[in-house]
Amino acid sequence: MVSELPWDSKTGTLRRDLAEGMMNPACSHALEAALQIKEKHGGHITVFTMGPPMAEEVLFEAVALGADQGALLTDPKMAGADTFITSYILSRAIKKICPDFDLILCGCYTSDSETAQVGPQLAEELSIPGVAYVEHLDIQDRTVRIQRLTDNFLETLEMDLPGLITITTQQYAPRYAPLSGLQDAFERNKIIRLTAKKLGLDSEMSGLKNSPTQIVDVYSPIMDKKNIILKGTAKKIVGQIFEKFDDKIGGAIGKDLKVGKES
Amino acid sequence: MDFNPCMKHKVIRKAVRKFAESEIGPLVYEIDRDARFPQEIVDKMRPLNFFGLQISKRYGGAEVDSISYAITIEEISRVCAGIGLCVTVHNSVGSYPIQLFGTPEQKKRFLPPLAGGERIGAFCLTEANAGSDASSVETTAVPDGDEYVLNGTKIFVTNGGVCGCALIFAITDPEDARRSASVFIVEKGTPGFSVGEIEDLCGMRSNPVSSLFLEDCRVPAENLLGRLGDGIKIGLTALDTGRIGVAAQALGIAQAAFEASVRYSQERQQFKRPISSFQTIQNYLADMATEIDAARLLLYRACAFKDSGRPFSAESAMAKLYCSRAATRVTNQAVQIHGGYGYSKEYDVERYFRDAKVTEIYEGTSEVQRMVIARAVLSKRV
Repeated sequence: MVSELPWDSKTGTLRRDLAEGMMNPACSHALEAALQIKEKHGGHITVFTMGPPMAEEVLFEAVALGADQGALLTDPKMAGADTFITSYILSRAIKKICPDFDLILCGCYTSDSETAQVGPQLAEELSIPGVAYVEHLDIQDRTVRIQRLTDNFLETLEMDLPGLITITTQQYAPRYAPLSGLQDAFERNKIIRLTAKKLGLDSEMSGLKNSPTQIVDVYSPIMDKKNIILKGTAKKIVGQIFEKFDDKIGGAIGKDLKVGKES
Repeated sequence: MDFNPCMKHKVIRKAVRKFAESEIGPLVYEIDRDARFPQEIVDKMRPLNFFGLQISKRYGGAEVDSISYAITIEEISRVCAGIGLCVTVHNSVGSYPIQLFGTPEQKKRFLPPLAGGERIGAFCLTEANAGSDASSVETTAVPDGDEYVLNGTKIFVTNGGVCGCALIFAITDPEDARRSASVFIVEKGTPGFSVGEIEDLCGMRSNPVSSLFLEDCRVPAENLLGRLGDGIKIGLTALDTGRIGVAAQALGIAQAAFEASVRYSQERQQFKRPISSFQTIQNYLADMATEIDAARLLLYRACAFKDSGRPFSAESAMAKLYCSRAATRVTNQAVQIHGGYGYSKEYDVERYFRDAKVTEIYEGTSEVQRMVIARAVLSKRV
C-alpha cells in the first residue's frame, strides 16, 4: 500500500501534495478517544498536524467532530522532515500553543510511512511518560489506566499525567462528522497556522537537511513463497537446511550461525 | 473565475461520501430489491443533520450553503438514489417552504422535528388530474370556524409512506383554482389524513412513494402556510430549490454509473485486451465525462446564484434539465459498456439505469423545465 502512494524517488519522501488527503486512520481513533474523554471529563482539545497547506482539511474535520481548535504546522522548511525532526517541531508547537496540556493522544502509526516513531519520540522531547499501542484508557484524577495487547497478553498499566499515549485502531471507532459541525468549523475557523518562523525554528532546523534519517527506497515486500523438497537421509536434509537457510534461521533465533561454523 | 472547489466543499464531500459508502452502501441492493425504506439508515443520518440541511441553526438545522447541499445530495445519490430522494425532498420541498414562508410560531413548532429527522417531510401537489399544471388541483379546503376541512387525493407523494408532516396544496375556490391555491401543513395522525398503497416503481424503490388521502380532514387555521392564495407562489419557489436537489441526485447517479464504467472497462477483457483500449469505449467514456462535468458546472452555478441572492429559477431549471438528461444518457451508456452483465442485477449499473429515468419526470418534467427556461429567454432574463 505504501509503495502505491506518490513517492518522490529523488528525496525518498511522500509527495503529499499529490496524495488525496485524509486523516490518518490511527489518528482518527486517537481523536475519538479524546472526544470521549472530553464528553466524560470535560476539557479542551487541540489537534495538531504538520504538512502542506492542504493538510488543514483534517483540522477542519477534527473541529467538526468536536475538537476545540486545530494547529497547522506548515512551512516549506519543514518539508521532508523525518520522524525525529517532526517530533521536535511538534514539541515546540505544543509548548507554544498548549503548554499546560494534560494528555497527548497520537495515532500509533501513520498509514503512509508506518514508522510508529513520532509518538514515542514526542514523549521524549517533552520529557513526559509515554505508552504506545494502547487499546483502551480510563482517567481517574491525575492517573490514566491503560490497556494494551502485547504478545497476546492484555497488559494494564498506570501512568501519571501529563503523559502521551498512542492509540491503535482496535477501539475508539471514529464517529462521522455532522454537517452542522462541518459548516461551523469553516464559519468559525479555529485553525492556528504556524510557520517555522512563528515557532522560532528558522535558524535551527530546515527539515530534510537536518533529518538524521534518509529514506533510500520504498517498495512493497515481494512475497516469494515456494515449496522445496529436500531428499536424502535425515542428517543430509538437516545439513541442507542449514546450508540453504542459515541466515534466516540465524535471524529468527538471533544468532549468527556462520560464526559457530567457522570456529 | 475559479473552478476549484473550496476546502469546505471538499471536506463536506469526503465526509458525506465516507458515511454513504460505509453505512448505506452495504444495504443498497437489498433495499432496492425489497422496496424497503431503511429506517435504520435514517436513524444514523438524523444526528448528522442530513434532515436539517437548509433549516436555520436556531431550529436545529445545519444551514449549509447551496453548493454544500447539492454535494450532500450528490454523494448520497452516488451510493443510493432512493435515500438521496428521501433526503432531498424532505429538505427542499418538504421543509424549506416552512423556513421561507412560515410564521415564527409555525417555524418553532414544525422545523425542529423536521430538522432532527423525527418527522419526514413531504410535498403534495400532484393529483390524478394535476401535475405539470399546478392550477388543476382539485383538493379542496373549506373554511369552517377556525379550521379548514380538506378533501382530496394526492398521488405519487415521495416519502408518502413515512411522512410525519405533509405540505398539502388545496384550493378554496373551485371557480378560481389558480388564485385560491393554498398550502396547508398537515401532520401525521390528523383524523381524516391517511396513507394509500406504496407504489411499485421502476426505480428509487427504497422510497415509499404513495398516495395520500384527505377525507374531511380538519386542519387548524394556523396551519395555513403563507397567506390564502399563496399556493402557486410557494409551490414555484419550493420547486426552484427542489430542482437543485433533483439535479444533484441525477448527477450523483451519473457519477456512480460513470465510475463503474471506467472500472469495468479496464477490467473486462475481450480480444485479449481490456475493452477500455478500444476507441469506441474511449469515446463513450469521454462523452460521459464531458456530460457529467457540464452537468456539474450548471448545477453549481445555479447554487451559487441562489447563495448570492440572485434569481436562479431559469438556472436551476437548466441544471435540472441537463443533469437529468445526462443521468439517463450516462446510465444507458454504462449498461452498454457492461454488456449483458449491465442488464443483470449482479451489477449496480442496472439500478442506476432504472433510478435515472424518473429524474427527467418528477419535480417538473423536462418539458416543464424547458417552459421555465423559454419564459426566461423570451423575457430576456437569461
